[in-house]
Amino acid sequence: MIQLESLTKQYGPTTVVDGVTLAIASGSITVIVGTSGSGKSTLLRMINRLIEPSGGRVLIDGHDTSATPVHLLRRKIGYAIQGHGLFPHRTVGENIATVPRLLGWSAARIQARVDELLRIFQLEPAEFAAKFPHQLSGGQQQRVGVARALAAEPAVLLMDEPFGALDPIIRGKAQQDLLDIQRRFGTTVVLVTHDMDEAFHLGDHVAVMSQGRLLQYDPPALLLTRPADPFVSRLTGTADRSLKLLSLTTAGEAAEPGVGEGPSVPAAASLREVLSDLVWSGATAATVMRSDGTPAGRLTLAGILARGRAG
Amino acid sequence: MRRLGLLLRLAAFSLLVAFLVMPQRFAPLFAPFTEYGAPPIYDQGSLLALAAAHLGTVFLAAAASTVVAVSLGILVTRPSGAEFLPLSRTLVGIGQTFPPVAVLAIAVPLVGFGETPTLIALFAYGLLPIFENTISALQTCPSSVIEAARGMGMSSRQRLLGVELPLAMPLILEGIRLSVVINVGTATIGSTVAAKGLGEVIIAGLLSNNTAFILQGGLVTGLMAMLLYDGMAGLEKRLLRAVHVG
Ligand SMILES: Nc1ncnc2c1ncn2[C@@H]1O[C@H](COP(=O)(O)OP(=O)(O)OP(=O)(O)O)[C@@H](O)[C@H]1O
Ligand SMILES: [Mg+2]
Repeated sequence: MIQLESLTKQYGPTTVVDGVTLAIASGSITVIVGTSGSGKSTLLRMINRLIEPSGGRVLIDGHDTSATPVHLLRRKIGYAIQGHGLFPHRTVGENIATVPRLLGWSAARIQARVDELLRIFQLEPAEFAAKFPHQLSGGQQQRVGVARALAAEPAVLLMDEPFGALDPIIRGKAQQDLLDIQRRFGTTVVLVTHDMDEAFHLGDHVAVMSQGRLLQYDPPALLLTRPADPFVSRLTGTADRSLKLLSLTTAGEAAEPGVGEGPSVPAAASLREVLSDLVWSGATAATVMRSDGTPAGRLTLAGILARGRAG
Repeated sequence: MRRLGLLLRLAAFSLLVAFLVMPQRFAPLFAPFTEYGAPPIYDQGSLLALAAAHLGTVFLAAAASTVVAVSLGILVTRPSGAEFLPLSRTLVGIGQTFPPVAVLAIAVPLVGFGETPTLIALFAYGLLPIFENTISALQTCPSSVIEAARGMGMSSRQRLLGVELPLAMPLILEGIRLSVVINVGTATIGSTVAAKGLGEVIIAGLLSNNTAFILQGGLVTGLMAMLLYDGMAGLEKRLLRAVHVG
């Protein structure tokens, strides 16, 4: 649990983060969105005190972070940034080992952890551990950056536009990796992004910032159905909000009992994808199939459409 | 192309060593530059010993310049020392613009004749390239790398030693090399205050109107500077490859 209490940052007379209070549940993903200069990075960097707050406090599992020496605090919090910040003069393995080394882990434990992380990120240790960052592609560098942030098994991972520089396909892959890893380790993730689709895809909760203030902190669906402020609607976009809403629910979650007719769709597909399928095939209902091949129920066009409306 | 370069270097080095070890063999070459039967080869001391003393002075001064310039460069690029940056720049700049001969003139009454005033002059003259390179290297360290190092909980000391200095190394070494090479030439003035060095040969030539001496002193100094520049560049490359920067 991360609690921000009236967190404030001022530079001279300007307030760039203005009394932000919010509670982030352990093991969840919170995505911070907002226009450029709205204070997202500043808010994020006050959590690991790369920026010293001017007012308010940050509690992690009930402990005030200002009670811990900063360098010790930061070793317990993963931090991954856009442009990855890998050490160019150290190998991939050494880069990943940075925090475990600072923490004084044994060589054997470090080695095992580095290999484990490289495998999780689909980088074969034998091939990649001894390479230097400049010998990797941008996507691979980014994965090493995230692996490095996760090396010491932090309970909290802060990410500032981690996938901003990746092409759409690699970005989708990186997002999926992050979701997998977050589920596997139960990490609490706080991520800043400009990309609303990314926010909706990854976030259990989305925090909307504007001019230093937190306008809304809610699950993605509520941002669409009950925006707290006109700015929130502008940011999420109203033109395709029904489709966005549909994309937040999977076929498995929405399936009604009964055997369906029409095309079969995987339970993991979003309603948006099912709708597209129905439009394409001209059918009015679909059968939802679990990944083991057993039917999970059915979806009708009318049922899907009803879920694309607020309330 | 690389082989040709290596051959040329090897030839230059052999020529230098041969001349320093058995200068008399080269007498016929220098004879045309003497008049009235004056000796064609410097005969008031061993050329080899003079060259060694010359290099010794240069390296000693360079070591001192390096320690001071790099430390100062580190200090003024820390947040706590940033306010001293302009002052240090000015002081180091004066060290370079104040003529070494004038430094000698001032130093001699204070520390006497010999090697010490020369060391002082060379030390002051050699600070600037090392200092400026150290500063620009530390200031241009990629900000995302520094940010990541901070974010992972490296202390400022760990960041400096583990990240900033290794990344700054190529430029710092280049500064040291420039400083050394400049001072190989500059060190000849030390002979005006009785420091042992190749300047002696040139001064002896001037006093006795012996062009051969002047040529010998100049050529040996120039050749040494060239070979040092080259040799140090090679060493730098190896060193940097060993720590994986550059
Ligand atoms: N050191 C500083 N001194 C003064 N103002 C600053 C400083 N750092 C940031 N700011 C200001 O604080 C505001 C918020 O900056 P911040 O980096 O948090 O924005 P952001 O939401 O992350 O923007 P972006 O999406 O462009 O990354 C900006 O207006 C910025 O100019
Ligand atoms: Mg930002």
